[in-house]
Amino acid sequence: MLQATPTALAGGGAPPPFGTAVLANLPFLLSGMLATVQLALLALVLALALGVVFAILRSVPVRPLRFVGTAYVEFVRNTPLLVQTFFAYFGLPTVGVRLPAFTAAFLALGVYTGAFVTEAIRSGILAVDRGQSEAARSLGMSFGQGMRYVVLPQAIAATVPPLGNLSIALFKNTSLASSIAVAELLYNAQIINSRTFATYEIYGFVGLCYLVFTLPMGALVGLLERRLTRYR
Amino acid sequence: MQAFFEPRRWAPFLEPAIWQFIWTGLQITLSMAAIAIIGSLALGLFLALCRMSRLPFLRYPAVVFVETVRALPVLLLIFFIFFGAARAGLGLSPFGAGTLALTLYTGAINAEIMRAGITSIGRGQWEAARSLGLDYRQTLSYIVFPQAARRVVPPQVSQIITLIKDTSLAAVIGVGELTRRGQLIYQSEVNPLQSLFVCACIYFLINYSLSLVSRRWEVDAALGVPPSGRRVQPVGPLPGGPSAA
Repeated sequence: MLQATPTALAGGGAPPPFGTAVLANLPFLLSGMLATVQLALLALVLALALGVVFAILRSVPVRPLRFVGTAYVEFVRNTPLLVQTFFAYFGLPTVGVRLPAFTAAFLALGVYTGAFVTEAIRSGILAVDRGQSEAARSLGMSFGQGMRYVVLPQAIAATVPPLGNLSIALFKNTSLASSIAVAELLYNAQIINSRTFATYEIYGFVGLCYLVFTLPMGALVGLLERRLTRYR
Repeated sequence: MQAFFEPRRWAPFLEPAIWQFIWTGLQITLSMAAIAIIGSLALGLFLALCRMSRLPFLRYPAVVFVETVRALPVLLLIFFIFFGAARAGLGLSPFGAGTLALTLYTGAINAEIMRAGITSIGRGQWEAARSLGLDYRQTLSYIVFPQAARRVVPPQVSQIITLIKDTSLAAVIGVGELTRRGQLIYQSEVNPLQSLFVCACIYFLINYSLSLVSRRWEVDAALGVPPSGRRVQPVGPLPGGPSAA
């Protein structure tokens, strides 16, 4: 288990040169970064799975199923992720479900993001006008061909950029796992900060760590958005 | 499931004192949100105008600020401002630090929402206004802003919903807002599921009502009903294609 290294201030001498706290704790910070990436990837998989399932539930012509889908989306989207995270970590044990902090954070993040994914997929499907598939059929295409060449390219083009933005939000939201002591990037930063008081240095560096991921993701989403508009 | 409905875990919510306690927390949540909404709308408009300016010394700082702050986790900003201010010897309260961080973050996002709204107003509007003899400021305030403002309302409302949810993060630095008070309740009453569920329901009521208002606005805007105007029966399909509503 990696530990944070206290670098100074305890003795009351001159503060160590800028950068010492980060350099001395680099492995500890990188292990946090790894946990952040793992958490984000696992939660993304859960969110996509939930999104597909609930997007289907929200479009079937069976009223109770549709209600379940709507209830999930509206309740989860309109309540804070922090409350949901506490619910999973502190609440579930009282009904006999005891989850490790990482699992609780993964579950909360996946369920929370899943509600947004559901809406992204659903609006992607709704974005394709009915006339499009009718036109494809009247041009002599089969149902499969119509889906393959006309409907799906447009639906996917309409869904991919929002999903990209949701992935960025999800990546940033992994930081909430620090509130239940998951040893991810921000949590490790807090520990180092409390031992070294090198506040600007530590949080500045951790900010850069997040930017290294979120800025390229944002650029990629922008690029996809521009390239996919030709399908719409 | 049975444990969730256990009466003794719900019993605290029969006491008025608990609701008094929650109400105080809700007031703090709402005041943080209100201050941050006003601050972030002003900041967002300022940043959007700077970013669209032809002057490089206005444009570049705005671009760097917006793109950086938007790409960082809110919780990191809260920690940075709270602990950073303490480190610098500024006596910034948890409430002040939380509200400031939320204002800066939401301001950066609002800047992009407003910029998108303003740039969505066609060039023709600008050209027509200028050829009628209006100057840059007149064009902006009489032609572009009124149209952009209406398009900006739905995304701006969903950003406000996000902001209200994000105020819960101030609980982590010890602001006694709704979520923090929910935690305090369950720590003494040992009913985390029930207390957090009650908190979630309060957030839900506020945010869901906001989203309903926004949805109605979107339908009205698509039908061309002026704000606060009389609703008319739609004739045929909505103009402007399928909306996100």
